[in-house]
Amino acid sequence: MNFNFINLQPYSNPQYFVYLMIALIPIIIGLYNGRRLKIYEAIFSIVFLFLIFDGSHWQQGVNLIVWLIYEFALTFAYQYYRHHGKNKTWVFSLTVILAIIPLAVVKYLTAFPDNSINFVIGFLGISYVTFKTVQVIMEMRDGTIKKVDPVTYARFLLFFPTISSGPIDRYRRFKKDYDKVPTRDAYITDLQYAVRYLFQGFLYKFVIGWFFGTYWLPKISTAALAVGNANGGLKLSWWLLAYMYCYSMYLFFDFAGYSLFAVSISYFMGIHTPMNFNKPFISKNIKDFWNRWHMTLSFWFRDYIYMRFTFFAMKNKLFKNRIRLSQVSYFLLFLIMGFWHGLTWYYIVYGLFHATAICVNDMWLRFKRKHKKQIPHNKFTEWFAIFLTFNVVCFSFLIFSGFLSQLWFGWK
Amino acid sequence: MSNKRRLWQIFGPVLCAFILLLVVFLIPWERTFSKQTIYEAAASQNTTVFKGSTMKQEAYEDGYVPFYGSSELSRFDPLHPSVIAEKYHRNYRPFLLGGPGSQSLAQFLGMQGTTKQLKNKKAVVIISPQWFTKKGQDPNAFALYYSPLQACNFLLSAKNNKTDRYAAQRLLDMPDVKGEIRISLKQIAAGKKLTGFERFYLENRRRMLVNEDNFFSSFQLRDRVNKIRNRAKVLPSAYSVAALNKVAEEQAAAHTTSNNLGIDNTFFRTRLPKKILKNLKGSQRHFNYVKSVEYADFQLMLEQFAKQHTNVLFIIPPINGKWMKYTGLSSKMYQESVAKMEQQLTSQGFENIADLSRRGNEKYFMQDTIHLGWKGWVAVDQAVRPFMKLPNERYNYDMSNYYYSKKWQNKDNVKRVNLTSKDRLKVK
Repeated sequence: MNFNFINLQPYSNPQYFVYLMIALIPIIIGLYNGRRLKIYEAIFSIVFLFLIFDGSHWQQGVNLIVWLIYEFALTFAYQYYRHHGKNKTWVFSLTVILAIIPLAVVKYLTAFPDNSINFVIGFLGISYVTFKTVQVIMEMRDGTIKKVDPVTYARFLLFFPTISSGPIDRYRRFKKDYDKVPTRDAYITDLQYAVRYLFQGFLYKFVIGWFFGTYWLPKISTAALAVGNANGGLKLSWWLLAYMYCYSMYLFFDFAGYSLFAVSISYFMGIHTPMNFNKPFISKNIKDFWNRWHMTLSFWFRDYIYMRFTFFAMKNKLFKNRIRLSQVSYFLLFLIMGFWHGLTWYYIVYGLFHATAICVNDMWLRFKRKHKKQIPHNKFTEWFAIFLTFNVVCFSFLIFSGFLSQLWFGWK
Repeated sequence: MSNKRRLWQIFGPVLCAFILLLVVFLIPWERTFSKQTIYEAAASQNTTVFKGSTMKQEAYEDGYVPFYGSSELSRFDPLHPSVIAEKYHRNYRPFLLGGPGSQSLAQFLGMQGTTKQLKNKKAVVIISPQWFTKKGQDPNAFALYYSPLQACNFLLSAKNNKTDRYAAQRLLDMPDVKGEIRISLKQIAAGKKLTGFERFYLENRRRMLVNEDNFFSSFQLRDRVNKIRNRAKVLPSAYSVAALNKVAEEQAAAHTTSNNLGIDNTFFRTRLPKKILKNLKGSQRHFNYVKSVEYADFQLMLEQFAKQHTNVLFIIPPINGKWMKYTGLSSKMYQESVAKMEQQLTSQGFENIADLSRRGNEKYFMQDTIHLGWKGWVAVDQAVRPFMKLPNERYNYDMSNYYYSKKWQNKDNVKRVNLTSKDRLKVK
């Protein structure tokens, strides 16, 4: 294959933004004048998708096309079935399982060491498009989505600002935006947010994130490994603590910056892609944290795994005790999330850690409710709660980073 | 509020930001680096330093001497040139330039920014015969060392002569050379002048790149200062070759316990696991360093030195003898390539050559397969020390375009020059 193709990985460098902004101009002018240039938008999206998956990434592009055909066949077969007035649980379950299978296979295969599989697996963003598909199938089952329009569905899945790493939009919300043109006044407000988010994204990802991730993290990592190995035992050191905070900051600013780009570009296109982060580090407890951190993912897990399972379990009377039920649901949710991140011990421990944390938090809240009078509540306790939550979260990110694995076992 | 006004309030600041950015990058900023930073940079082998100008310029004016080389420069044992210079308070400090894959073409380009600072001064070049493969500079490695700033420097001072046309042609072979620079290189390669617009563009581009170099090149230096100081502690306080060799032997003996090839333990463990080692057996039997485009690229470096009237010491290292036997590399071919390099050097007046190429069988001379270490570094110092004592002088060379020709690139059976009798070398 020819490696001299221009290949643009989304939001990776300043040039990307220059090309992107130039290509966006007709869309912006169109929307400003009350018109959505759907054909231009389609061409523009296809070109930018092509630039992600061309050149040395062409195998991923092929995988994407195969995946799309498969999921389209599945979705419309299920729609055909639902339109005939049928709604069997086993058909629904089978459809969901079939929709998830490609992602599951990819996750399973990527757990093998590099070079042991000699073909390209999956494609950039397979998780996020799978989440979107599953969501559509589930809502068709509920009847909240009556009819999926193939063109809008393709647009929704392939909406290129969010294709690589979310945020995960919802079909009905997307369709509503996509089918209408904002008023001039509303669109100017959109532009205002778009510009703000774009620059906030630059600050987050390319400045702050760079300092934490590229400038400090390697130095801290080297020191933590050196001092840790010298200390022996659990190989603990103050550097490890520094690594924990530095990595947490990097993770937030890098990912939040990225999400802001995706939201910003969506706003330029008059689509209100939901926000992914809402000041997660001022969370008062773990539950609050998951309402602020990678929100579109956690809401997806909440709506389509936690709630589904809870209803299922209640209907079938699997648990007598409601508290026990919610605890089991949490463990299920976070275990699945852990497995989704990848099949290594630290992702799974990360999931279990959060499930435990959220259950402990629930216990504490129940305890607090019972002993309202004895337990003080003031500015100090609020700050203490934030401080505690922050440290618990940072510790979970230390697990998540895989650095402990590198420190203890020498592999990541 | 009117829509127009709202739009202004949104995009006005963006516009201002861009104008401000452009202004900041186009203003000629002056800056100096602290001595500490320069010292760190000199030992860091960072590619940002390699590709930049300001640090090198400042260093050369402050007693640093460039050591052009490649991966052997990172063999930081206590006998490394940087450690020795520090320990014995030499009147120079090495400025290490190069790393894996920085062959002649990359080095030539990297030298562009310091023509003035090296005028009538000294430089050391550690040649790697491994550079001299059929196709010369590896384009993937070149990408690491390619500096648009130095390309601008080259273009803006390029003349219509064989050297510059050849250099432009070779740079065009590298896929990472892109955009306006590529277009301008095509002009130079074809013997044409740059247009007014091209000059204008390149000058402004250079200004921006110089600023970028000024602002950011001191970031992320690999800090080896402590390493140097710690290594220096093992050296004897009074300089003597015998005492240095003794330290070298002790160090080497302790670090080569895992194998009988005389290879550093860490290198052996990480780079030569069983499977790779097995595949390498006899694998280099057909390697040939005699016929190579690299000879012409090497000529570019020489021409640059001649232009600067720099006094240069060339060091030609050997290959670990045991390793050579293991991989089947031909010793005859190796010596033939060395003879060819020496011919190219001496015939044009480059006479300071430390030819170590036959010493690969000496114990602890090499740190691993092809890289100098321990006693090898001591041998290097035996050449570097007297060389640095020479006063700085203007050296004139007798350059020949013959060395760019295909005929020279493919010539074999070059007769070995006797380096010991100086009067038989060409007189300058």
